Amino acid sequence: MNLRNYNIYFHTHTISGIIISLILYVIFFAGSFAFFKTEIASWQKNTPNSVVEKSGTDMNRIRDTMAAGMDLYGRDLYITLNERTSRMTVSASASKDTTIKDKGGFFYMDATSFKKQDYRKSYDLGEFLYRLHFLAPLNVIGGRGFLFGYYLAGLVAFLFLFAIITGTLVHWKKIVSNFYVFRPWEKLKTLWTDIHTALGVITLPFLFVFAVTGTYYLVSFPLVTQPTAKVQYGGSTDSLFQQTIPGRTNYAFEDKKLNHVPDLNAYFKDAQQKLKGAELRNLIVYNYGDQGMRIRISAVNQQRSFTEPGTVIYNGKTGKVEKLTPIDQKGSYIKAVDSLVYSLHFGNYGGNIVRILYFLLGIAGCIVIISGVMIWLVARNKKNIPEKKRRFNEWLANIYLSASIGMYPVTAAAFIAVKLNPGADRGFVYSFYFWVWLVITILLVLRRNNYKTTRDCLLIGGLLGVAIPIVNGLVTGNWIWVSMRHGYTDILLIDLLWTVIGITSLVTWLLVVRQQQEKLLHKLSPSGV
Amino acid sequence: MPANKKHLTASPWQRLLKVTAAFVGGYMVSMSFHLLLMAFMDRTTVFITMRFSVYILWAALMVIAFLAKNGWKIWGIYLGLSLIFFLPYLLKMMGK
Repeated sequence: MNLRNYNIYFHTHTISGIIISLILYVIFFAGSFAFFKTEIASWQKNTPNSVVEKSGTDMNRIRDTMAAGMDLYGRDLYITLNERTSRMTVSASASKDTTIKDKGGFFYMDATSFKKQDYRKSYDLGEFLYRLHFLAPLNVIGGRGFLFGYYLAGLVAFLFLFAIITGTLVHWKKIVSNFYVFRPWEKLKTLWTDIHTALGVITLPFLFVFAVTGTYYLVSFPLVTQPTAKVQYGGSTDSLFQQTIPGRTNYAFEDKKLNHVPDLNAYFKDAQQKLKGAELRNLIVYNYGDQGMRIRISAVNQQRSFTEPGTVIYNGKTGKVEKLTPIDQKGSYIKAVDSLVYSLHFGNYGGNIVRILYFLLGIAGCIVIISGVMIWLVARNKKNIPEKKRRFNEWLANIYLSASIGMYPVTAAAFIAVKLNPGADRGFVYSFYFWVWLVITILLVLRRNNYKTTRDCLLIGGLLGVAIPIVNGLVTGNWIWVSMRHGYTDILLIDLLWTVIGITSLVTWLLVVRQQQEKLLHKLSPSGV
Repeated sequence: MPANKKHLTASPWQRLLKVTAAFVGGYMVSMSFHLLLMAFMDRTTVFITMRFSVYILWAALMVIAFLAKNGWKIWGIYLGLSLIFFLPYLLKMMGK
């Protein structure tokens, strides 16, 4: 390979990598747990998914519960069911009848009790980790209207894409030959390099998908949508979305009330017949109670059609089917890309197996990041590098590692904290997580020992992780075997996940400590070199 | 072994030019290229494709900008390409 190009790839990979490393680690670590967002919510609130089959859900009752708080006339209503949790999301837009002044809203509703809960109050650790993974808490920095956190995360995701491409170019020639090379007991530099390249190659497709789709989610609106709308759609992002997002149609509001109360259950039942073999996921009512009312119901079956949801749209005035898109019909490119971007990023297409695999790949991504920082540090820790620069590098790596590895015990502790405090709301989760994280990071930074940082975080995180299912059992009585007997798969998933994570890190801790002891013995013995 | 310095850009001005050409220029070329496609092809299809293609092309253009020998030259090329790709829109604006 051209030596100049090689060195340029190498350098740009290093610089872009070291700039994004800490934030990218936070994104990956929190994001890995966010795959289990709904399960974490059910686990924390101890509300197992009691009604797995949502096809019998009483839609009229949901509507009536919503109507208790506001006049529904002229609003668009969105009801979303999730097969993994009994928590449904329900929202209402502002009314198109301008005489109805009160705003709409976003709620959660329980599938068994139909109790309405507002977003803020039912905030949970799953939601926190999910939003942390695109830096939503940092949006406050930009003030109103400027989504600082999202844009920063988007920038990091894009630089990550750049780092993936340059990293692949650097490693290109050795991509096959070095794949099987793993020398954990040689000098540290080779250990970090082997981890970085081997895991980097294994996770490459996964990382690439996440870099691209992540950038899309966070910065596409200001960087792509708005400029495109300006030159192609007369400056209106609304009309752009209407033409490009499947299912985004504007139905005219006629401002004439219907003389009957719509029976949503009838539509819901009928849609089940029409979309047989697929699971109903959401029901949207446009212009509720108006002569221009439409009811749109969609369903998915990813085994039969990976990217195409089936939909049926009813005319609310006549009750007749206006448009039916069966689940098996040949899909359009637009729909395929639209759902593919979502499915690939959220890993919602293959049940728990895929999400567990995604979780492991996400954690592998974290290890790729950390080993990258370690290569950067070790490669610069040489005599020919000025003392001042070396000290700076050491501090930087020290801060990076303390903050990122410290996240593990903090996350484990947060699971225990929200379990012990049943009233844990957003304020509690924020202050617990961020303060403990800050304190731990400062303590680790002051101790200035990367080996001890890793060792102790593995131990504390491992102990806390193993304790999580025990605390859950003590607080709620839902021990692992109880959940198993009752089929509370969501609660069980979190308990088992932490058991495995905890045991794995305790074993790793043991190996690390043993290795270090052997090294010390070797150094002390007179025959040692 | 950090990258060999003799192959890297030493002048801070050149470096600044390359970094900005990579990031800003790359974005301009990638965006204007897709907008050009929109002028001649089905715009909905192009817009949906842009969900991934804009960023991949942009990142590739970033790599190319860093490989350039001269920062001015790459800025010139990227600006020129953006202008050419944006031509249909410029003509429309001037026609009004």
